[in-house]
Amino acid sequence: MVKSFIPKTYKEALNLLAKNKLTIIAGGTDLMVKNKNISGLLPKFKKDLLFIAHLTELDYIKKEKDTIHIGANVTLEKILDSFHTHSLLKEALSIMASPAIRHIGTIGGNIANASPAGDTLPVLYVLNTKIVVKSLDSERTIPINDFIISSGKTILKENELISEIIIPDNKFDYEVFLKVGARQADAISKISFAAIANVSDSIVSDFRVTFGAVGPRIVREIEIENNIIGLTTNELNSRCKEICDSYKKFITPIDDQRSSAVYRKKVSLNLLEKYINSIK
Amino acid sequence: MSNISKAIKKVDSEEKMSGKAKYINDISYDDMLFAMTLRASESKGEIVNIEYPKIPKGYTIVDHNDIQGKNFVKIIFEDMPIFAEKEIKYYGEPILLVVGENRAIIQDIINNIHVTYKVKTPTYKLRDSVIHYEFEKGNAKEIFNKAKKKIQFDYSTGYQEHVYIEPQGLIGLYEVDKISIIGSMQCPYYIKNAVMQALDCDEKGVRVKQTTTGGAFGGKEEFPSLIACQIAIAVNKIKKPIKLIYNREEDMEFTTKRHPSNINLVAAIGENNEIQAIKAYVALDSGAYIGLSGVVLQRAMIASSGVYTVDNIEVTGDVFETNTVPNGAFRGFGAPQMMFAIEMFIHHIANELKIDPLVLRNKYLAKQNDITSTGGKFRDIIIMDEMINKVMNMSDYKRKLSEYSKEGNFNGIGMSWFLHGCGFTGSGEQKHIKALVKLRKEKNNHVTILVASVDMGQGIQTTMKKIVADILQLPIENIIYNNPDTDLVPDSGPTVASRTIMIVGGLVAQAAKLLKEQWVEGKEITVEKRYKQPKHIKWDEEKLRGDAYPAYSWGVNVVEVKVNPATYQVQLTGVYEVYDVGKAIDERIVLGQAEGGILQGISYGSLEVMKNVNGRIQQKNITDYIIPTSCDSVNIKTVFMDNPYLLGPYGAKGAGELTLIGGAPAVALAIENAINRRVTKIPVTPEYIMELIDYGKN
Repeated sequence: MVKSFIPKTYKEALNLLAKNKLTIIAGGTDLMVKNKNISGLLPKFKKDLLFIAHLTELDYIKKEKDTIHIGANVTLEKILDSFHTHSLLKEALSIMASPAIRHIGTIGGNIANASPAGDTLPVLYVLNTKIVVKSLDSERTIPINDFIISSGKTILKENELISEIIIPDNKFDYEVFLKVGARQADAISKISFAAIANVSDSIVSDFRVTFGAVGPRIVREIEIENNIIGLTTNELNSRCKEICDSYKKFITPIDDQRSSAVYRKKVSLNLLEKYINSIK
Repeated sequence: MSNISKAIKKVDSEEKMSGKAKYINDISYDDMLFAMTLRASESKGEIVNIEYPKIPKGYTIVDHNDIQGKNFVKIIFEDMPIFAEKEIKYYGEPILLVVGENRAIIQDIINNIHVTYKVKTPTYKLRDSVIHYEFEKGNAKEIFNKAKKKIQFDYSTGYQEHVYIEPQGLIGLYEVDKISIIGSMQCPYYIKNAVMQALDCDEKGVRVKQTTTGGAFGGKEEFPSLIACQIAIAVNKIKKPIKLIYNREEDMEFTTKRHPSNINLVAAIGENNEIQAIKAYVALDSGAYIGLSGVVLQRAMIASSGVYTVDNIEVTGDVFETNTVPNGAFRGFGAPQMMFAIEMFIHHIANELKIDPLVLRNKYLAKQNDITSTGGKFRDIIIMDEMINKVMNMSDYKRKLSEYSKEGNFNGIGMSWFLHGCGFTGSGEQKHIKALVKLRKEKNNHVTILVASVDMGQGIQTTMKKIVADILQLPIENIIYNNPDTDLVPDSGPTVASRTIMIVGGLVAQAAKLLKEQWVEGKEITVEKRYKQPKHIKWDEEKLRGDAYPAYSWGVNVVEVKVNPATYQVQLTGVYEVYDVGKAIDERIVLGQAEGGILQGISYGSLEVMKNVNGRIQQKNITDYIIPTSCDSVNIKTVFMDNPYLLGPYGAKGAGELTLIGGAPAVALAIENAINRRVTKIPVTPEYIMELIDYGKN
């Protein structure tokens, strides 16, 4: 059986992390499922556990000048309810999982779990979110795109803990989040899609698109986006097919028990096409 | 007499809402042990050798060597062993139990048992027929020989998993000269008979008691007999209480499901576009053992003309054995597969002939005294015309159909018409079940209902009590109906086939009337009633000819959807249902059946994907196997139209299964209408809709 550490403070948590190899557990909505045992037996964790959900120091949402700061321990439901939360993130949270899971699952957990089907991730990518990571003697701030390496893998070191996420507080002329799941709630995404755009004087001044659950990582292609920025909206609309084609090679879904690769790819491109056509 | 349909508080709601109800996993005994199953890791082969690790003291292996009686689970045929001896026929087939105190140690022992197999080539295709039936009405063969025009389509349906909230589970108890089985079940006497055969003992040697059951849907009809036999053998060997509870994944992977089917329908069309004859062929996948598959096939075949009267019908069917997990009973029992196919087919015929489906359907809609597919008779009044009018008005069907049929409109509306034969097929009640019920008036003037029917959530404890209380004019609190215990109640038959209210409830009502006549204050009196088949009902079991069912319940469903043209997702936008169940004994309870049933049918038709790849079930949990949430439903509009059945209590007929049957064809027709493409298989998933939009025909 594993040991459980329940630190009183964030500092104590970092101290414990510096000395032990621990599995960090906040809401547990992913870890308890991943490590579940047969009925009636305790879950099968491999490493000792560090419980952090009760650390109120990581439970805050605050607005600074151009950014919103969300502590790693804030539950998904609390973020959904907050006045400061970006509308696009609210959109994603409102159809995520179920009320029960949203009340216990945390934003830090959803990021650290690094599932390509994680529902907040496409939005956090599209909003250029940064992750603040601390250890006992260091602190670093990393764009989410660099933080997550691949499915289930992040650059988080064994002695580090996510402390907060920073989301630039921008408004967009166009913003979309769509989740394609097998049912309306409590579903794992077959495809997720988030996109924003700004248009001024018929020129596309900002354009970002992300796809989730269609490969080992969230798909966001900065190079394609940069080629689009500066186009007129007419040019954008007329090049729709070409742009969709350019995304094709980056959308690399698989066949699994939830859907087919063909469906995931086709629907991803349908959503992109629909989105591009909506920009006028 | 008060109106029996007026809803009362469900007698078990408080116990269940408060969490006080004890389900099998809530029950334990001081020296109780646990059992877990070692399963085959090949789909087909022979066991060559089993290598065991050192088994710690207090832990026991229980396998086929411990069986005193026959190594078969008594269902219909002697085909499924309790424990595999040598031959393995599906991945996951039980080989032995490991029994002991600590489940982690049991698991460890199981992980360290190494079984060597001589592997054989498994069959997953429908190739090896193990049961074949055929029957004919009129001169179908002759007409098909001469027919100038034929319309033919193939339909297919997938698995459906029960997803009862409470997984399978039983406890076995050792008493002197007796083994007791308690747990989650539909049919205490099925289990009793199976365990008697396994232990080679007489009826005194086995006692079976139902515990509060968290849903069943047919999944606890015959399956619990298998684990009851295993547990009984283990208890007989170890002489201590033993609990066997399945985990959700084990339950989804290795217990029975609805039979996947392929159905081929052909219509011979005459010069005036009339349907001269229909030829139906049904193929069911039984999995590795036949179990109830033959009876399921019969029900499917009998339903092959749906609610329509066609004078000439030729029906054939096969049960095919494959090296996959055995399939079994599931609410509807073969009818949902066939009713999907025939409802689609009648529309597809109309489309081919370019006539309004409604006109064609009305032309063939069965009327009282029409001859059924098996040459029996629809003896009772059929009120489908009123029901259809009702549902069309409620849903604004005609206006919506014309609006939604316009090009580029991705809304759709579909209407299914269906029936369900109530009770056992053919002479099952008379020949095999011979139901007996008793009522015992206690000295304190309370009355105990003694039947083997179980409440599995469908509300039978409430409705049975209501019947007795109403007839005897007693308060409902004075009626006692405990979970059945085979040492205390007679065999009133299994809780299946929508028979419980109509047959068992009918006998209970007769017994209550008898008791009323014999009533003496302060004296204990027991009365009993045994089932007698109505004289006018005749059935030839060999030829499948005659009256297949004593009565029929009828239904009309309308489902409305919106299909997303970018993601091909289907959103329900309206559900309307009208039923003739004779008379509702309690409106709210039947409403529960109606809303749950149609939703289970709609999701069978559009959401629930379960696939078997090389003998392995791919969707093993409720994350991957999709059943609807409340967010996927709409406010369902339900109407019951009274049409009392002379031989049912207060006129009641079957209700439980009927409500599932129309959901799949109604949603499939709605999707067909939305995307203007022909749908021939269920579930109609977004992935299938994408294919249809890209490559399908209208």
